[in-house]
Amino acid sequence: MESRKQKGPLVEIKHCTMEFPGVRALDDVSFTLLPGECHGLVGENGAGKSTLAKCIIGENRMTSGELIIDGDPINLHTYSIRESQKRGIAIVHQEFQLMREMSGLENIFIGHYEKVGPFIDWKTLRKRAAEVLEFLQCDVNLQIPVKMLRTADQQIVQLAKAVINESKVLILDELTAVLQEKDIENIFRIINILKQRGMGIIYISHRLDEVLDACDTYTVLCDGKHIHSGFVKDIDKPKLIKMIIGRELKQVYMPINQKFGEMLLEVKGLSGPDAFQDINLKVRRGEVVGIAGLLGAYKTELVHAIFGNHRITKGKVYINGKEVNIKNPRQAIKHGIGLVPDERRSLGLNMLFDIKDNTTLPSMAFFKKWKVFQDHKAEAIAAYDHNQRMDLSYYSLWQNVKKLSGGNQQKIVIAKWMLRNSDIFLMDEPTRGIDVGAKFEIYKLINDLTQQGKAVVLVSPELEELIGLCNRVYIMFEGEIMDVVEGERKTQEIIINSLLGINTHESN
Amino acid sequence: MNQINDFKIKSKRYTGGWSSFLQEWMILILFVVMVTIFALTSPTFRTTNNIMNVLRQASFIAIIAMGEFFVILTGQMDMSISSIIGMVSIFFAGFAVSMGLPVWIAVVLALLMAVVVGLVNGLLVVYGKMPSFIGTLVTMNVIKGIYFIYSGGLPISGLPESFNFLGAGYVGLVPFPVILMLIIAVILSIIAQHTSFGRSIYAVGGNIEAAKLSGINVKFVGIFVFIICAVLTGIGALGLTARTLSGNVMLGENLLFDVMTIVVLGGTSLSGGRGRIVGVVIGALFLQVISNMMILVGISTYWQWVVKGAILVAVVLIDANTKRE
Repeated sequence: MESRKQKGPLVEIKHCTMEFPGVRALDDVSFTLLPGECHGLVGENGAGKSTLAKCIIGENRMTSGELIIDGDPINLHTYSIRESQKRGIAIVHQEFQLMREMSGLENIFIGHYEKVGPFIDWKTLRKRAAEVLEFLQCDVNLQIPVKMLRTADQQIVQLAKAVINESKVLILDELTAVLQEKDIENIFRIINILKQRGMGIIYISHRLDEVLDACDTYTVLCDGKHIHSGFVKDIDKPKLIKMIIGRELKQVYMPINQKFGEMLLEVKGLSGPDAFQDINLKVRRGEVVGIAGLLGAYKTELVHAIFGNHRITKGKVYINGKEVNIKNPRQAIKHGIGLVPDERRSLGLNMLFDIKDNTTLPSMAFFKKWKVFQDHKAEAIAAYDHNQRMDLSYYSLWQNVKKLSGGNQQKIVIAKWMLRNSDIFLMDEPTRGIDVGAKFEIYKLINDLTQQGKAVVLVSPELEELIGLCNRVYIMFEGEIMDVVEGERKTQEIIINSLLGINTHESN
Repeated sequence: MNQINDFKIKSKRYTGGWSSFLQEWMILILFVVMVTIFALTSPTFRTTNNIMNVLRQASFIAIIAMGEFFVILTGQMDMSISSIIGMVSIFFAGFAVSMGLPVWIAVVLALLMAVVVGLVNGLLVVYGKMPSFIGTLVTMNVIKGIYFIYSGGLPISGLPESFNFLGAGYVGLVPFPVILMLIIAVILSIIAQHTSFGRSIYAVGGNIEAAKLSGINVKFVGIFVFIICAVLTGIGALGLTARTLSGNVMLGENLLFDVMTIVVLGGTSLSGGRGRIVGVVIGALFLQVISNMMILVGISTYWQWVVKGAILVAVVLIDANTKRE
């Protein structure tokens, strides 16, 4: 493969708009990637970075706009992942697209086996793989199943695969979020090698320092809009942060409740096996306590542990001042805890059940006739009552939950615990994947809960949400609490620094 | 006032129009059509004697299928029922004839053995985390070994005549097994629809993780369905034994396939979470009517197997291609 020195852009997007039902994810975004360039794509969660990447690889279809790849205008109606692969576009996520049980060698060549007659020519494949690894100057064992490799090495396998397929454009989507410092440097080194080869690289990351280190150019997106593009050498970190946050917090949040009751939940020195370590947490009645952290911070494991659904190696949990030993979700629910899990379709709801059965599932014991039989009428009245309060839009309580919108499904998951009269609401990314209108309704609901003297523990990847809703935010990094911010210190910048593991007490 | 009206509208059971009604009751409609055609074309089929015979033969299979229904409702499968039938039959006869125990004690002991087998199945699947297919396949073979060791494969006959009532007795015109089957069906139907335990079974089958996070005791449910299955299979086995008045290890041979067919015919989802007892009862009658008609027109046993297999394939194909949402 000769190195490309042509000047034409590899990817050019003009006035791209991408609409999901009810949301405009991308609004008139233009983007250009040149050969031999590493282009950083930055912005908050939900700013549209991944959506843009998915438009380029053909997973999402642009609603309007032009896409030009290596000089060829693309027909958007027929564009697909297959075509993007054929045109030499590869994506590497932190979520792996590897076959975990197969060896690195098989993963690299899958679908592109070289054959001698009907048989796979393993000898040639091994030789070619070795050449690629040498080119990348990496040493990875390709003979063992990839699931036995370290995360960083698995990513090398994915990169090697992109090189073997002679990709021209490589999209790295939050690749480094779960990597350690040394492995990140290795990725940077590989990026440089690939750049010299004329490959164009789109680098999506939360970590601004990395973007400043590794990229030549950058594009900032905010709320689906194109804010600015330019050369990295012309900019510094504070300017970049300002562009990313950009504006005042929108007035979508109600004033945070300040009327607190007694201490409701206290966690002391909680540790889980290979997960969170030595977590201390306090939640009073009427409070919303936020938990921030990147992927790999073990936020989800922590809330599941409080709910009795994840193993705890040491530490204590107190509810209403009394030590409790919660071994399973059943006991947690009895102690007044309710969990709104991050995966509402697979963990929050039973997709075969109707609205009424889903809403009353944890509370069945409250609705008995003669202590034995379920009182379906009373259940229906209670479910109706709670769903009505949430402005759920539906036509029948006996309607299956499967076809409801994400926002409405999430309301049912929350209604479950309101009906159960839970005191502590553990909410794991309650606004994930739901539209803006429904988000605000959930915010209002959280506010209402605190007014009633309930407590909410809110895990969220969106800093704006945490700042707008929480009395106090705990920031986790690799399983430990780095910092707790409240009042004046509750700012995006301080939280971002702690998220990345930078201790703000030293740097400020 | 407005709110009360709104509640009335929203609490009305939504039928989803004709198509969903037809889908829900398709098997019943097919059954009625089939019986009508058979009754019109075959004078032998429509005699009271023959109809009662069909009902009687369907009864015990239906009871066993209702047990398997609960296991399948949780998304699992119990392969050991054919062995449980043989075990209950031979040991019951052993207790009552060889050991000379009173019949009711023999019944209790035989059913207790079934409970133990169900418990073992449940423990293997829930705590041993074995796929139920494998776990119950193991118990199936182990039990088979045990009852052959015990009996040498020979039947034990000489059960008291009075016991024959369970399998062949009549109350008025109606065979006693039919009444027993209906009583059990009604009780199980109420348990499934109107108790929290029943709803928990559906919840576990629909989404075990969501059920667990909603505070359902998923382990208890997972084990208990195997015990229900084993006990109902035991009751069915006693009924089949009563008909011939002899304990026979071969009694359950080939029944697993029929039971599976019945459960699926009744609209139960093999992946769990969906199905009804009334469907199982209709499924059992459906299969028995077809067998009966095939016997009446003189189709050989081997061809009956082929036909039954074709029926199972047809039902699964229809189910897989219409319930896609």
